[in-house]
Amino acid sequence: MDGVNPFRRRAGADDPPPGGLSPADRALAAAALGDEKAFAAFYEAVSPVVYGTVLRVIRNPALAEEVTQEVFVELWRQATRYDRSKGSAAAWAATVAHRRAIDRVRSEESSRARDDRASQDAVPATDVVADKVVDEIATGLDRQRVQAALSRLTDTQREAVTLAYYGGHTYREVAVLLNVPEGTVKTRIRDGMIKLRDLLEVA
Amino acid sequence: MVNDLHHLAAAYVLDALDGAEIRAFEDHYPTCEICRQEVTEFRLTAAHLAAAAAVTPPDALQQRVMAEVATTRQMAPRPGVVTVDELAARRNRRFTSVLAVAAAVILLVGASVFIVTSRGGSAIDDVVAAPDAQVVQLEGETGSVRLVWSQSREQLAVFGNDLPDPGAGKTYELWGISEQAGALSAGQFDPVDGTVREVADVGDMAPTAWGITIEPDGGSPSATTEIIFFGET
Repeated sequence: MDGVNPFRRRAGADDPPPGGLSPADRALAAAALGDEKAFAAFYEAVSPVVYGTVLRVIRNPALAEEVTQEVFVELWRQATRYDRSKGSAAAWAATVAHRRAIDRVRSEESSRARDDRASQDAVPATDVVADKVVDEIATGLDRQRVQAALSRLTDTQREAVTLAYYGGHTYREVAVLLNVPEGTVKTRIRDGMIKLRDLLEVA
Repeated sequence: MVNDLHHLAAAYVLDALDGAEIRAFEDHYPTCEICRQEVTEFRLTAAHLAAAAAVTPPDALQQRVMAEVATTRQMAPRPGVVTVDELAARRNRRFTSVLAVAAAVILLVGASVFIVTSRGGSAIDDVVAAPDAQVVQLEGETGSVRLVWSQSREQLAVFGNDLPDPGAGKTYELWGISEQAGALSAGQFDPVDGTVREVADVGDMAPTAWGITIEPDGGSPSATTEIIFFGET
């Protein structure tokens, strides 16, 4: 080999971040190759989003911790199959977190808790959890942008979107809660999400 | 009904459909360009809603998560790429014969010279993100090694964990093995505290398996010791 070694450079912290990849994206790419330390870095980057989302839907801190743990074990298992072309690592984590939280609240054993939650939601939805918890990440730019975007929806669009996403209700349940036709709720959710998408410049 | 499905992307992404509708929409949207694009965009929109709800979890949760992660096996990288279990089964059947081929051909194949080029950016990300990147899990007694190989880029990333020190004056050497070309060296690497994260330019090779041996510093023209890690592509 004449001492010529193709392994002549190490990837490390001194690498400049390549365009478009966040630290969470890079940590997940390494975690997909079995690197537990990288997964710990991924956890640190996205756990506020995962835990916050789960807590919003589930509303019980102990249960939210349990579900957050399930979410991260699932993210670890599936890291090998994460498709970067379909969105950032953080967006993927949020998708998995929300779905897992929804599965939990819709499961049989939570049906009672769900009845309780539904009665809470009969009053206009407010930031029950968010208002109580002050968090430096949560008070950052993303929250301000999203709140600003939400404030530009019509009241009925905002209500439908937040009851569905943060409240964890199906559109049919939202229709019952608001006493409006299901088709109306579907339209409000769709129009609200289109407006949010455009305001947040996702497309 | 079809018309109805087209308008369900937002509710689907918010997890606001019920079971039957979820299945109907999941059957539909992968085949519908408009719905597929809407799902992608609305997922990113929903991720903003999630980010706005961010709350730092209690510190103790991280330890619990990492403890469970340490004992949880990851899924196979993607369909078509062998899993550890499959490798173990195949290895039992074929390891001896491949080793025999490797040993026979190693004697005939001299050292390969690889061109080293300077490259900016994150070389590991580039390899991992290559469209033809292929992940291969190698099997060994101690520690773990995964390779990400891009044949089109002629590059290989090595990810090793918990690897034993090769010993003073010794190094790990990686070999690309095929019946046609025998065992071609893909270079040497030295773990730091058992960990390796390196990228190599391996040239134009088409191995059907990869193996690792311990060699004297600087590498050997052909493998001189037993293969300690092995995996088929």
